Amino acid sequence: MKDDQRIKPPKWANKLLHLFCASHLVEEIEGDLHELFEERVQYAGEQKARFRYIIDVFSLIRPFAIKEKESLYPKPPLFQQAMLKNNFKIAFRNLWKHRTFSFINVTGLSVGMSACFLIAMYVHFELTYDAFNKKADRIYRLATDLKTPSETLNYSISSWAFAPNLKNEFPEVEAFTRLATRNYLVRKGDLKFKEEKTVFADSSLYEVFDFVLIKGNPQTALKGQMSVVFTEKTAKKYFADADPMGQTLLLGDEGIPAIVTGVMQDLPANSQIKGDIFVSMSSYTQRFNKGVDENWGDFGAITYLLLKPGADPGKFSTKFPAFLENHAGKMMREQQMKISLIMEPLLDVYLHSAREAEESGNISNVYIFSVVAIFILLIACINFVNLTTARSVERAREVGVRKAVGAPRSVLTRQFIIESVLLCLIAFVFAVLLSAISIPFFNELSGKIISNGVIESMPFVGGLFIVAVLIGCIAGIYPAFVLSSFDPVVVLKGRFSTSAKGIMLRKGLVTAQFSISIALIIATIVVYTQVDFMRSRDLGFSKDQMLVISAETGAKRNAFQESLLSLSGVKSTAASTRVPGSKSNQAYSEMENVKGEMQTGNLEVYSVDFNFIQQFGLKVVAGRTFSKSFGSDSSKALVINEAAAKMLGYQAPQEAVGKKYKQWGREGVIIGVVKDFHFKSLQENITPLTFRFLDWWNGNQVSVKISGGNFKNTLASIENQWKLQNPDRPFSYYFMDEFFDRQYGSDERFEKLFFDFSILAIFISCLGLLGLASYTTTQRTKEIGVRKVMGASTGSIVRLLS
Amino acid sequence: MKGTYLGEFEEIVLLAVAILAGGAYGAAITNEIEQQMGRTVNLGAVHAALHRLEEKGLVASQMGGATKERGGRRKRFFLVTAPGIKALKNIRQVRNQMWDDIPRPAGA
Repeated sequence: MKDDQRIKPPKWANKLLHLFCASHLVEEIEGDLHELFEERVQYAGEQKARFRYIIDVFSLIRPFAIKEKESLYPKPPLFQQAMLKNNFKIAFRNLWKHRTFSFINVTGLSVGMSACFLIAMYVHFELTYDAFNKKADRIYRLATDLKTPSETLNYSISSWAFAPNLKNEFPEVEAFTRLATRNYLVRKGDLKFKEEKTVFADSSLYEVFDFVLIKGNPQTALKGQMSVVFTEKTAKKYFADADPMGQTLLLGDEGIPAIVTGVMQDLPANSQIKGDIFVSMSSYTQRFNKGVDENWGDFGAITYLLLKPGADPGKFSTKFPAFLENHAGKMMREQQMKISLIMEPLLDVYLHSAREAEESGNISNVYIFSVVAIFILLIACINFVNLTTARSVERAREVGVRKAVGAPRSVLTRQFIIESVLLCLIAFVFAVLLSAISIPFFNELSGKIISNGVIESMPFVGGLFIVAVLIGCIAGIYPAFVLSSFDPVVVLKGRFSTSAKGIMLRKGLVTAQFSISIALIIATIVVYTQVDFMRSRDLGFSKDQMLVISAETGAKRNAFQESLLSLSGVKSTAASTRVPGSKSNQAYSEMENVKGEMQTGNLEVYSVDFNFIQQFGLKVVAGRTFSKSFGSDSSKALVINEAAAKMLGYQAPQEAVGKKYKQWGREGVIIGVVKDFHFKSLQENITPLTFRFLDWWNGNQVSVKISGGNFKNTLASIENQWKLQNPDRPFSYYFMDEFFDRQYGSDERFEKLFFDFSILAIFISCLGLLGLASYTTTQRTKEIGVRKVMGASTGSIVRLLS
Repeated sequence: MKGTYLGEFEEIVLLAVAILAGGAYGAAITNEIEQQMGRTVNLGAVHAALHRLEEKGLVASQMGGATKERGGRRKRFFLVTAPGIKALKNIRQVRNQMWDDIPRPAGA
């Protein structure tokens, strides 16, 4: 036929017809279309014929043409129970037949999944800090920036007077609460403890935050002076199972009686507000520190504001400058400082605020761990894909037979996906068990109670289940398509071998896997050296073999110090208000600078005795330290560090000696300059620091330098001395080096976590490689046999394989 | 009821099948209608009508043998069944009756 010369109808329309038209109708309809087309070409022209052809095709898109005629034979439904059953049976048999591979697969996957599970919980924990507060989106922390000619201080605390006045003057503020954490001695009968987390809180604490009072009235519990609310845990400590309500206990060194007015649930682990005992704020502002409420320059309390619903925080904060000018303008000008208030949303404080806090997270850590989790999972998935495709050769024959007896590709694909999902689900079960076992360790490792157990983390388990099924599907897709695409003829002839492409892909995946592992190793090394650097770096003072005891002040302390000196093993003692690593404490100071003006600033202050500078091994670079031979030292002298001298504009530290200063009611001259030392964590810069002599009422930290030898005995005799002199107070002490390194706790935890997870990642990738290697070995069994017969030694075969 | 009503286009297609008497298949019917009525007809409409007529039992169809025409594609031939003829006659009778009922003066 000379059909080729004839004009043909548009191809695409024809294709469209085949696409939608039912198979039993397509022949006659296509025939009709073509016949009409040819006729029309003859008497109406090609263009018209084409046009009519297209119109006709479109006019055929009707239900009757699309609907397929029912087949004579019943079509097997895609999900037949028997077939599914068979799929599962085959899957189980296969897994069991290749136990080693299944084991490697399941182990890798479950370890990867449980690592992911733990990290997911950690990330969730970090991201939901304080989120348990229902009004969290309306709560703001009122922070302060304090600017003086010398520096800008970014405080997380604010002045006592701010919040009450803000509430009085602005309708936007619904409530506020101020929190001040102190270390207080609490006595109840024979029980006495130093409560590090004694928190003074306004009575509106329960209005702002969602803390639950089990006993007592939330409105009045913290209202009256000297009323105390215990957390459940603390209540147990003091009262065991007795009812603490209405009981009296003695607060502080003076032993002021206080009444228990409430018991609250222990604070959630992911609450920034930590506390064991809450004392009414009125006890502080009206008794312990009377009048502090009216002092606009006394910064000491963390303030939380609860804004009314709908109040615009941005608009509200524009009113602050006028508010401050109104109340504290005069003071600010006198002291040459400028206060500005900043509202930080509660939910952002933990992860995003750089201001000093009892506990703060790091958003980049959260990201890093998420990435690590994804990497680990990726490595586990790559293992899975590799092992499955590598084994595909073995199953090629099965596929060939199945295809020969009529299995369509879709059914084969389904079978392989079912197999991989099954494997993932087995891994899921193990992963959950593994997580359940490792949660306590993980809590310890991360230093937080992230989870109380798998049972309480059901949403995560559900999430993991979905992830497992997804991994099964995704990881199963590639093997499924590769396997189901085998040509039965080739396979059954036995001429089948793995394609070069498949091997390339596997090698590529293994390479990717190991690059990820190596990247993790490098990152671990970097983190490790960083932490190690911080630990071993010379800080500029000696912290070894030093014991710090929380003692009393004044004459009692002096007597205690004296008695210690007589003990063997005690080299020297020193008293101070703070030791390196303590929370910062600043004093408003005026000092003569290089221009001869009195420069103001808020400087770090240490009150110390004669021994302190010497005992801590600080180097005096100019002038001298406090000395008993100068009678005026105890009331007039000041020692500064190099940073402070630099701040005042002196090139050489010598220039600063003899200059005038004013600080906390004292006036005098600078008598010496000490070399800069790291009194805060290494991550922070060395800031200006001043040493003044102790007042009679402060300096309760007694540092004891111990000289080697029998350490235990020395400690015991110190404790004995303490008990002798202070029978009514607990002996609490810490070691200087541990105390200082505590600042690196979070870094160390980060390092450890990172290290552990990297090890896991490497473990999983090694597992995968082991699987692949043992597989290729079994593949080459015949080759090895031939080689051995020909006289190859075991050694040479080992070389060949590795 | 499905079997009772005959649409206008269905009636025309049924007539065309009757006219072509044994040689009625999609393309031929389309041509017949186009020539008789002087209007263009979509093949889709014709096939749809034939499908409905067959469902109503007014036509019956049978696949023809393969021929050299149209690339060897077979044709489906349609025949009017006895109920189909009856339906046509019925329509004609009704029409005639109505014509007869038109009053003379108006028609002239």
